[in-house]
Amino acid sequence: MGPDTAVRKPSIWEILTSEKYFKWTLLIPLFALLLVFMLYPLFYCLYYSFCQWGMQGKAIFVGLHNYRELLNDTAFMEALARTFEVLAICIVAELLIGLGLALLWNREFRGQNVVRGLALLPLLVAPLVLSLLWNFMLEYDFGAVNQILTAIGLGKVYWWSPNLALYTICFITIWQWFPFSVFVLIAGLRSLPRDVFEAARVDGASNWYTFRRLTLPMLSPLIMIIVVLRAMWLIRLFDPLYGTTRGGVRTELLDWRVYRTAFVYFDIGYGSSMAIFSLFLTIAVCAVMYRELMKALGVIR
Amino acid sequence: MLKKALFWFVTVIVLLTVIGPLLWIYITAFKSSGDIFTTELKKLVVFTPTLDNFKRMFTDYPFWFNLGNTAIVSVVSTIFVMLVSLPAAYSFARWNTGGGHLLFITISTRMFPGVVAAIPFFIMFRTFGLLDTHAGIILLYIYFNTSFATFLLYGFFRDVPEELEQAAMVDGYGRMEVFRKVVFPLILPGLAVTTVFCLIWSWNEFFYAFLFTRLTARTVTVLISSFWGSIEVQYGPMAAGAAVAILPTLIAAWFMQRYVIRGLTFGAVKG
Repeated sequence: MGPDTAVRKPSIWEILTSEKYFKWTLLIPLFALLLVFMLYPLFYCLYYSFCQWGMQGKAIFVGLHNYRELLNDTAFMEALARTFEVLAICIVAELLIGLGLALLWNREFRGQNVVRGLALLPLLVAPLVLSLLWNFMLEYDFGAVNQILTAIGLGKVYWWSPNLALYTICFITIWQWFPFSVFVLIAGLRSLPRDVFEAARVDGASNWYTFRRLTLPMLSPLIMIIVVLRAMWLIRLFDPLYGTTRGGVRTELLDWRVYRTAFVYFDIGYGSSMAIFSLFLTIAVCAVMYRELMKALGVIR
Repeated sequence: MLKKALFWFVTVIVLLTVIGPLLWIYITAFKSSGDIFTTELKKLVVFTPTLDNFKRMFTDYPFWFNLGNTAIVSVVSTIFVMLVSLPAAYSFARWNTGGGHLLFITISTRMFPGVVAAIPFFIMFRTFGLLDTHAGIILLYIYFNTSFATFLLYGFFRDVPEELEQAAMVDGYGRMEVFRKVVFPLILPGLAVTTVFCLIWSWNEFFYAFLFTRLTARTVTVLISSFWGSIEVQYGPMAAGAAVAILPTLIAAWFMQRYVIRGLTFGAVKG
């Protein structure tokens, strides 16, 4: 059938933009991208994880060998435990600081835009640059922090000692990311319905009671968002390690371990199995919270 | 009165903690190496400013070239990310396509540890000669940003009232026209926020840039990281480089402050 026949066959464009298919048409680019960028790496990473391969020659299939080795790998398990430690410390600290400052700044005050604008800055500066900066400021001899500590009569602290370095890295991370919690929670506080709070005040509820029984429950979807996103990002913590200890002095975390195995020792097979392990861990940690997040957003019920 | 004093006391302390270190980059950038490595307390802030670090940065190292790479890579990848994310987010928000599960799958690419993708891509790029090329790193940044951009835009699209679109349909607009003439103008602020986020994330990215670029496509974060060597650390040029490289993000942060709150809540609340 040509274009001049009576019953014209709809063009591809017309089909794609028709009521029935339009929503799928819009997703074509995304599907293409997901296929290339998600399925491809996932498939190959999974495949390599069952192989022994050093980038030279052919990959040898060894079945579950890598995974069995992984379970007995103390260095890897230590990195795993440390990652969880960092996760717990950073998320709790960021939420507490965030909640405190959000409650403090959730009002009209002179210079509010300046205060919020400045508080936002660390969030948007490259994590690598900030970790190099903190590494410099926390240097033992001439670092600004130790000099100030000496000046006010406190002793110097060796911030990169094996006992302290991991917490120093947590500190840098919290310093950079607390504004995230602050801003998300301020937005949450602003969206709370006023009348409920007025009713509570009329009924003579105390501030603490109002906070615990009204504010906190209503903020919980946003607290959920913060926990999920931060957990996802913290499991992959890499830049602050590169900028400071480079995984030394007992600060090696999950992704750093994988990076070293795959890209320093070129043990692709073993590195891949670690990466896959780390992926399933992330999904396991996040999936539960994720359902809650989606419920909070009203996507699934 | 006491309450107000306490409010400002806490606020000032927090701001000092935030700005102090950032300011330190700029202070250090103008110090001679003698002033950087001194233990004399007053030299922390009292010193003779010098442009030596900047001169060294610009003449001894390919700073402008690497900064240019960062700019190219950020802009090109962001354009592609938007072309993919914008229609997809609209579909998810307007029709809940895939019942939330597709959206979940999309966002879960962001859950991937960076290394899961890095290993296969490294091998693929080696085979196709994409290591240390602009195209290669742009592809990685598209992968890196798409899911999150989709998620952000999804939040903004959800705020567009469906009635507006239906009214336009009654007036005889086709789907494409509804999107172009009704939805798109309403989504512009959200689009702007998402674009700036993508630009900043690509601008700041280190892990992929570090693994996948060496010389021709090296980005500025990798150059700055190279001053932190295992033998000596060149704090002066490092600070000078960082001072220039973070300037665009600082400016963007300042102007975005108002909109960023809206972006950070992903449409979960009406900000």
